[in-house]
Amino acid sequence: MARSKRNQAREAMSTTKKTGMTRRRWLKLSTAASAAALAGTGPGAWRALAADQKNPAPPAVEKKYSSCDMCFNKCGLVARVEKGKVAKLGPNPHFLKSRGMLCARGNAGIMQLYDPDRLKYPLLRKGARGEGKWQRINWDQALDLAAAKLKEIGEKYTRCGTVFMAGTDTQSTFVHRFAEVYGSYNVISHESNCLLSRNRAFLDTFGVVPIPDTLNCRYIIMPGANRFEALVTPDSIDIVTALQNGAKLVVLDPRYTKTAALASEWHAIRPGTDMAFFLAVANVLITEGLYDKEFVAKRTHGFKRLAEHVRQYTPQWAAAQCDIPAIDIIRIARELAQAAPAAMVYPGRRSSDYVDSTQIRRSMAIVNALIGNWDQAGGLTLPQKIKTGTIPYEAPFYDSNPEDRVDAGRAKMMFPEEGSFKYTRDAVIEGKPYPVKGFFTYKTNPMQTGANQAKTVEMISQLDFMITVDIAMSDTAWMADLVLPAPTYLEREDPVSSFQGSSACSGMVMRDPVVPAMYQSRPVFWIIKELAGRLGLEEHFDFTIADFRAAQLKDLPQVTTALKEQGVYNLTGPVHGVHKNKPFRTRSTKVELYNDRYKENGVSPLPVYRARPRVPQDRFRMVVGRNAYISQSSSTNNALLAQLEDENTLWINPEPAARLGITSGQMLRVASPAGAVELKARVTQEIRPDTVYMDTGFGPLSTWLKNIYGKGACLSRVLKDEADEVSGNMAMHETLVTVEKVRS
Amino acid sequence: MIKTVFAMALAALLLLASLGPALSEGNWRKGKYLYRKNCRTCHSAKGPAKDLSPSTYKQAKWAELFNQNKIPCKPKWPKITDKDLADIYAYLHGHAADSPSPAKCK
Repeated sequence: MARSKRNQAREAMSTTKKTGMTRRRWLKLSTAASAAALAGTGPGAWRALAADQKNPAPPAVEKKYSSCDMCFNKCGLVARVEKGKVAKLGPNPHFLKSRGMLCARGNAGIMQLYDPDRLKYPLLRKGARGEGKWQRINWDQALDLAAAKLKEIGEKYTRCGTVFMAGTDTQSTFVHRFAEVYGSYNVISHESNCLLSRNRAFLDTFGVVPIPDTLNCRYIIMPGANRFEALVTPDSIDIVTALQNGAKLVVLDPRYTKTAALASEWHAIRPGTDMAFFLAVANVLITEGLYDKEFVAKRTHGFKRLAEHVRQYTPQWAAAQCDIPAIDIIRIARELAQAAPAAMVYPGRRSSDYVDSTQIRRSMAIVNALIGNWDQAGGLTLPQKIKTGTIPYEAPFYDSNPEDRVDAGRAKMMFPEEGSFKYTRDAVIEGKPYPVKGFFTYKTNPMQTGANQAKTVEMISQLDFMITVDIAMSDTAWMADLVLPAPTYLEREDPVSSFQGSSACSGMVMRDPVVPAMYQSRPVFWIIKELAGRLGLEEHFDFTIADFRAAQLKDLPQVTTALKEQGVYNLTGPVHGVHKNKPFRTRSTKVELYNDRYKENGVSPLPVYRARPRVPQDRFRMVVGRNAYISQSSSTNNALLAQLEDENTLWINPEPAARLGITSGQMLRVASPAGAVELKARVTQEIRPDTVYMDTGFGPLSTWLKNIYGKGACLSRVLKDEADEVSGNMAMHETLVTVEKVRS
Repeated sequence: MIKTVFAMALAALLLLASLGPALSEGNWRKGKYLYRKNCRTCHSAKGPAKDLSPSTYKQAKWAELFNQNKIPCKPKWPKITDKDLADIYAYLHGHAADSPSPAKCK
């Protein structure tokens, strides 16, 4: 079935490709047609599932559409509701982006809803911070207090005296809106602990952050990304399909991940040397004349300077850096060129690894440009998210505010609307350039995901007041003054969310409550609307979610129908051949192999390799990664997922383990300059001898997370907090640790 | 090499000089506020003029419009201070399509 849907999608793509239409054009033309088609055919099999109009009593069994929130992918789902209770979550077969599938975490979402450890009512801290003593208060008390504190901090320290941090969530847009009308520039998200430097690099090379078309790709080099565990739909599924169709997958990773296990070849690259590998690949492509000469000549900027620059980076030189034989580097470069343009260096997502992480990703972007895979089947494609309308607002301007963000200027080319968690935290601790005394967080857990937990504790200890809105008592909530309970995605009315699913489709989803909100949980939209009312900012939130959706879909009536009938709107226009000869959104209008703006900002205009010394024998480099049933710290306490893993372990290679007398299951002490943790050993060949690894999301401070409390160790407690020099993204792999047995 | 560096430095200096001290020193955050308040009344999806966001144009185009006094509707504006103009410019130019942080005006 999935296969036939893909074929249909491909047919649709090829048809439109002939006409040369972009998705936007396709969207416009198909509006009337699709609306008529939907009205005519109706929901088909789904009609039988709808409530009987003549009988208002809810049927014993209902099936309701929603979209998953167990990670950021928002995959479509169908909830089976029996007598008002969710009995099962399954995939929405109409949801093309996930190829009609729902992963283990998606299935386990039911236990986010029915988690006995959920926050149930507003809580006010009673004891010392982090002591875990709480007083139950009612919503009026909670909102009055929160508003009074926001007002007080605003008057005392300006409106920028409060930092707002919201996770990846469809209602986070309202938190950002609130921060702006309240008057704070200090808004951060999870992104500066994640993929900001990747975005920086690709934006600065291609003028956009491209979408990889993995389904049609014939040769994928995957540096570091672990797509068969750190799931991204449709890429995780499409790469398997591409492999079945004969594509080659080359994984560079110090760990033998599930992706490495299923790859055509795996190279246990020395951590931190990926740039050497790609500069050497560029060297081979140029030296042997294997690059796309026409594309490079017509569509790129700075080729001559790049060619001169990479002459020094020979495969033989790179081999000594990467621990990958020169003969393999040469072969991979040749194979990549041979498969081009249906070939790519997969851009990946999380890039919070090294102090030069933007430049590392620049080297990957440059290799993609050299093989001319832009706008081609199996290459990097133009993002084509469907644009939605909005309810506009005019945020007031506060003359008393400081000039800029609190973290401004700490990295060379930060995104001013994103900032940096690391540098914001540093600035709050230092009290410079101005004091910040308030912190509002929504569904994000920097205590677990922000490297160097001791510094996050130090930051929070400087605050006058901290408000956390979340579903469960995360470690971040544990440190707050006021904790407000939010409903899960299965209980919420959410705005429409637009997404891009590579060659599958562009599309939109939204959520209506599958079941009513439990306990006293309230959506963050309602919370900030209430706060806005108490702060005289109600004019900016003078609407309901229904009003907001109506504004979003004002010009997209076919989306409303599709969402109702199929739980998703899919737009399956062409993804390649749409950009054609249009200029790139860069200063030179070309792909910037050489970036003049970097030079003006004191950043090397070409990626210059920075050699990292070998890890001394008494240390290990800690790397960060994922497995398929953990969404960092938000899912580890889930009762179903905890059955798969309720404790993390330290992966260590048998060679150093033997040297240190370590066997699997032994308790270890892992220490860095940031801090020390204790957890059990997992002695395994699946990691290089100079590298160790542990999963994120365990060893919480919060005793309320009963399934994992006291189990495993918290990764952020041991990670050092360096930052990418260009974007300010966290640089977590700069951490070297010592490992020793705990003596009982 | 030295020649290239010199030529680039000169070009950068000329660019800065051509923008004038006022335009190069605006506060983009204030500019965002001023743009929304004053310009979006016309330059929005619902307005009578072209829907304009910083990312509608590239930096060179914004520089040309502001620096060479080529803004078509400017004669119709109420009086605007040089500071406000510089702030609006800082917002539009600083978040243009080819800027380090392209932005749409919501």
